[in-house]
Amino acid sequence: MSNGENGRKSVLVVGGGIAGIQASLDLANMGFKVYLVEKLPSIGGRMAQLDKTFPTNDCAMCILAPKMIEASSHPNIELLTYSEVEKVSGETGKFTVKVKKKASFVDWSKCTGCGLCVEGCPVIISNEFDQGVGKRKAIYMLFPQAVPKKCVIDKKEERPCKAACMDACPVHTNVPGYIKLITEGEFKEAYKLIRETNPLPACVGRVCYAPCQEVCNRGEIDEPLCIRDLKRVPAEQWNIEELEVPVVAETGKKVVIVGSGPAGLGAANDLALQGHNVTIFEALHEPGGMLRVGIPEYRLPKEILRQEIGYIQKLGVGIKTGVQVGKDITLEKLKKEYDAVFVAIGAHGGMKLGVEGEDIPGVTEGVGFLRAANLGEKVNVGKKVAVIGGGNTAIDCGRTAKRLGAKEVTIVYRRSRAEMPASEEEVIAAEKEEIKIEFLTTPSRFSAENNKLAKMECVRMKLGEPDASGRPRPIPVKGSEFTIPVDTVIAALGQAPQTDFVKDLGVSLSKRGAIEIDPKTGVTNVEGVFAGGDVVTGPAFVIDAIAAGKKAARSIHQYLNGQPLEPEEEWKEPEKFSQEEIEDRKRRFPSRNKVEMREEPVKERVQDFREVALGYSLEEATEESSRCLAGQIEGCIECHECERRCEPKAIVYTMKDENITLKVGAIIIASGLGLYDISSITEYGYGKIKNVITAMEFERLTAASGPTMGALKRPSDGRLPENIAFIQCVGSRDFRHKAYCSSVCCMHATKESMLAFEHHPGTKSTIFYMDMRAVGKRFQEYIARAKADYNATYIRGRPGRIEVNPQNDNPIIWYEETTSGEVKSFEAELVVLAQAMVPQITQDLAKILGIELDENGFVKIPDKFIQPLDTTKPGIFACGYVHSPRDIPDSVTQASGAAGRVAEAIAGGN
Amino acid sequence: MNLEDIIQETKTYYCLECGKCTSVCPVAKYDPSFSPRAIIEGALLGFEDELVFNRELFSCLTCYTCKQECPSDVDFPIFVRKARSIAQDNGQRGICAHSGQLQSLARLMTSPTIKQKRLEWLSKEYSVSENSDVLFWVGCAPYFEPIFEDIEFRALDITEASLKVLNLLGIEPKLLPDEKCCGHDVLWTGDIETFKKLAEHNAAQIKEAGVKKIVFSCPEGYRTFKLDYPNYVDLDCEVQHISELLAEKIEQKGVKFKEINKKVTYQDPCRLGRHLGVYDAPRKVLESIPGIELVEMKHSGWESICCGTSAWTNCDSYSNMLRTDRLSEAVETGAELLITTCPKCQTHFRCAMVDKGEEHRSTPRIEIMDLANLVANAMGERK
Repeated sequence: MSNGENGRKSVLVVGGGIAGIQASLDLANMGFKVYLVEKLPSIGGRMAQLDKTFPTNDCAMCILAPKMIEASSHPNIELLTYSEVEKVSGETGKFTVKVKKKASFVDWSKCTGCGLCVEGCPVIISNEFDQGVGKRKAIYMLFPQAVPKKCVIDKKEERPCKAACMDACPVHTNVPGYIKLITEGEFKEAYKLIRETNPLPACVGRVCYAPCQEVCNRGEIDEPLCIRDLKRVPAEQWNIEELEVPVVAETGKKVVIVGSGPAGLGAANDLALQGHNVTIFEALHEPGGMLRVGIPEYRLPKEILRQEIGYIQKLGVGIKTGVQVGKDITLEKLKKEYDAVFVAIGAHGGMKLGVEGEDIPGVTEGVGFLRAANLGEKVNVGKKVAVIGGGNTAIDCGRTAKRLGAKEVTIVYRRSRAEMPASEEEVIAAEKEEIKIEFLTTPSRFSAENNKLAKMECVRMKLGEPDASGRPRPIPVKGSEFTIPVDTVIAALGQAPQTDFVKDLGVSLSKRGAIEIDPKTGVTNVEGVFAGGDVVTGPAFVIDAIAAGKKAARSIHQYLNGQPLEPEEEWKEPEKFSQEEIEDRKRRFPSRNKVEMREEPVKERVQDFREVALGYSLEEATEESSRCLAGQIEGCIECHECERRCEPKAIVYTMKDENITLKVGAIIIASGLGLYDISSITEYGYGKIKNVITAMEFERLTAASGPTMGALKRPSDGRLPENIAFIQCVGSRDFRHKAYCSSVCCMHATKESMLAFEHHPGTKSTIFYMDMRAVGKRFQEYIARAKADYNATYIRGRPGRIEVNPQNDNPIIWYEETTSGEVKSFEAELVVLAQAMVPQITQDLAKILGIELDENGFVKIPDKFIQPLDTTKPGIFACGYVHSPRDIPDSVTQASGAAGRVAEAIAGGN
Repeated sequence: MNLEDIIQETKTYYCLECGKCTSVCPVAKYDPSFSPRAIIEGALLGFEDELVFNRELFSCLTCYTCKQECPSDVDFPIFVRKARSIAQDNGQRGICAHSGQLQSLARLMTSPTIKQKRLEWLSKEYSVSENSDVLFWVGCAPYFEPIFEDIEFRALDITEASLKVLNLLGIEPKLLPDEKCCGHDVLWTGDIETFKKLAEHNAAQIKEAGVKKIVFSCPEGYRTFKLDYPNYVDLDCEVQHISELLAEKIEQKGVKFKEINKKVTYQDPCRLGRHLGVYDAPRKVLESIPGIELVEMKHSGWESICCGTSAWTNCDSYSNMLRTDRLSEAVETGAELLITTCPKCQTHFRCAMVDKGEEHRSTPRIEIMDLANLVANAMGERK
């Protein structure tokens, strides 16, 4: 049958529950075209939420799913889920309907329903399908058997920030994501999320230079988020030793990495997770590179480093320490034995001052000094120490010297504070520790007395024209010479890579000795040999090295698979707020200053190497993380994690609502039932007393695919109750709420008592009823069975009050046993309230359809006896609970009836 | 008036006999022979004599707890009140406590010849004015003193404190020289004839006084004027409880209170709370006094438990058990002071706490005071 003129032979069915599905199938089988519109992402309705159905106690989903599949695959049925009817005009035979298809932000033509996106989403929200018992993510599938089996993103509002942090981060860590997880207290998930891009969260959370914080747009309102300080929180709030090791299929390919610093570790982590066999050769006796021997203990405790390197080793990465490639083993040999080589030896060579007297004992070089100090070897530190240089290494040398006994420590730097490469935080920390910094000063000569270093002659500098580095060239000021008494001098001028050994393989080096690579892929001029980190760039930051390692790993993986080397797509530049956006955010979000990281008091901390930063407490972490603008909204925060994980690339953040116009001949309204909010029935304490739940919550608890996998755990302590009370007519048959009877509760309570017994044999159920309405076929026998075989007791009386036993959270019910006239109390472990059910149709929708509702909100049926499915508007028919309270078989019966009425209305004509 | 009429008027036929009323009834909790549901059931079955001659008919406290809960909208307290008038017609008046003194007083006041010295207690310390358009309703307080000497309760303390509070708020109220009992108790025990006479007298007096507002310190008088008088007489006046007046003044321009450092708890009187819905005003007043810490009892607000006796009728050991348990709740809060806004509540609680012998020794005890007295202390010179 064609659609007919003006769509006469098409039908609109509003509501994808069992009634809507049945009506659609009946009409489709008759040859009509059916548009089945459902506002949720999947059809199925309330029946999908139930565990079993009475009186057969069949599994609800087992009966429903075949119908859902039939509806979705029927050639005459078009499913329009996640859609709502916006406008209806016309009359029987020629209705025009406007339907809005809501933006799901997922391209359903590509989505395979695999659910990987859901795993990664950091936004955890109450799950309406589970009646709040369980949680879902911002991206979700309505239930596991959803038809269509697609995900939708619940985006309630636009994210109020640019997530510039993610753009600025060299590894593009999902910052809004992990900060949101910290706010929610999900520390394991936060750690795992950070680890997706950064294998050393606790270490980087202590030492990173935080380019993210520089661009954080919160700084336009008050202060940038302490993103780095928050990064260490998950490892402190959760035991990272519990992190599971994934099982990965081995590729059989072998990769060797020279150097176990952050670049080497970054590459090793990623390659191991892809199944390759990775071995790291490390020249020193302990792994970690600069993390181990460059950064002092008081900034990065080595135990933390050991733990995080330990996990990388758990992935199967072997680290051979004490083996120097180029001395103990040649690079050529490694290239023969392994399928790929990654050189990441960093830049550990010190640089000479080029000043007279630098051979006097007492004048040492910074990198070597720190290495010895960090490895616990003996170092000579006198009382008057001068450190030459202005980078973080110089500051580290100065603060280390202080802790090793120096009375006076002076840092001598040839330019001014503004040009100093060391981070501001480090400089402030040094000054707090009473380390003096002489700016615009350079040593010109060292001299000894009694064969011991005694004096350092210095000259003041002034800033001239910019030199090759782009910074002003320091020029000595004549006549400004002065002398500083010293007994130790540490030169921390820079670090050079020690790359002679790579020449064997013909790897090309720059003038400074750095390895030259293709910056997009990390490959050198020799096939199969890659490099990254300080050995390529010269001294840079830990996170840059990790990024280089990950880039090389990506290229190595492609190389090992015989694929051409293709770099990752470029990320965009970090964006700043416009002036308008700043004004708007200032209005919406009250100013809150950052939470400062607490530090050990100065006098105590300089006496040893204890960690200076004390970390955030749980309250501080929650407070600081909750400042993040992205996380201020409910729903999707556009962190792109789902996009990152979706293989078919189905995520479309820019999707818009779609408007469709349909032409149909008739309409069926089958929008089903809603659940009355019984928290207004204060005498029962729902919402206040934990172990008082609604019947639908009970269904979700016992459902095998529900939030507890079918374990009937009571809310307060997760115990399986053995003594359950059911209270009927909560909100129904009550003039103060709904005067009518909801029809199905007597039966569903009986069913639930049977389910409780089946889940936990012996469970006693007590049902407090007014009347037992068991009007269907075999319903009365069902109740008898419950009494005989399932330990269900029925007490006639409507309780007046529920109180709680504070010792065990057991609800206590006060009732009059009307058959004997006694007022009694009954203590149960769990109370299930049979909440009233209401028709699920708003006044707005009724107005759009042009039909009237009765005083209880059910569809008004003008002629109840002769045309009981006809609404007040010709051409529109009603069935199911929205028509009147009824159970599933009666809803299905009415649905077929409505299909018959529709066929009658539009059968004639073309 | 017969039983059938009452059933029709109060729509008692809607009763589903679910027993919710009885499960929350404070009397049913202690008295196993009292069940609101059973009373209705008997009435619906037509057993009029069993209803009218049942002593239990006068045990209902008309506290409105059942009415609040009833899913079928049955007005049990009004049903009881109307049934009691049939009972009165049949010579039943319940068991009158205190030898029937209080009931007799009310009836005496309907005599056209017996005169009262109604304002003899009034001292110069309190300012009243003939010209005010605000009337202060004194109520039966002047009569309580001699009757309740044994429990050391001077109800006039409340009256005087209320006057003081009004004065300090800048109000010099009018007092009726020939005020008569508002009729609350006789109305609720079914003596409609007496009630009508009292109401007519009072309404006439008020009309003559030409006032616009009547302020009450007693919730029973307040309820009677607000909800019951309009069914019998013409009253063209605004009525208000003193706690509401105070809350209003506090809201409008603030009232200066001295600091009183006490932990208190609050008894919601049935008539002020459930009957009239006034729960917040007294609490607002308490919270506005610096130093006062209000701790609620286990059952407070709409769940508040009645003080145990209504209309001086059928007061028995069950009433005492009820009161004792309620006092336990008060003591359990750790409060030093039990505040109430009803002279009847205060009378009944004091009665329970007075040592009348062995069985009273273990009654929980707490200092009790009317809100007006507390506020008077907080507002002005110590009384």
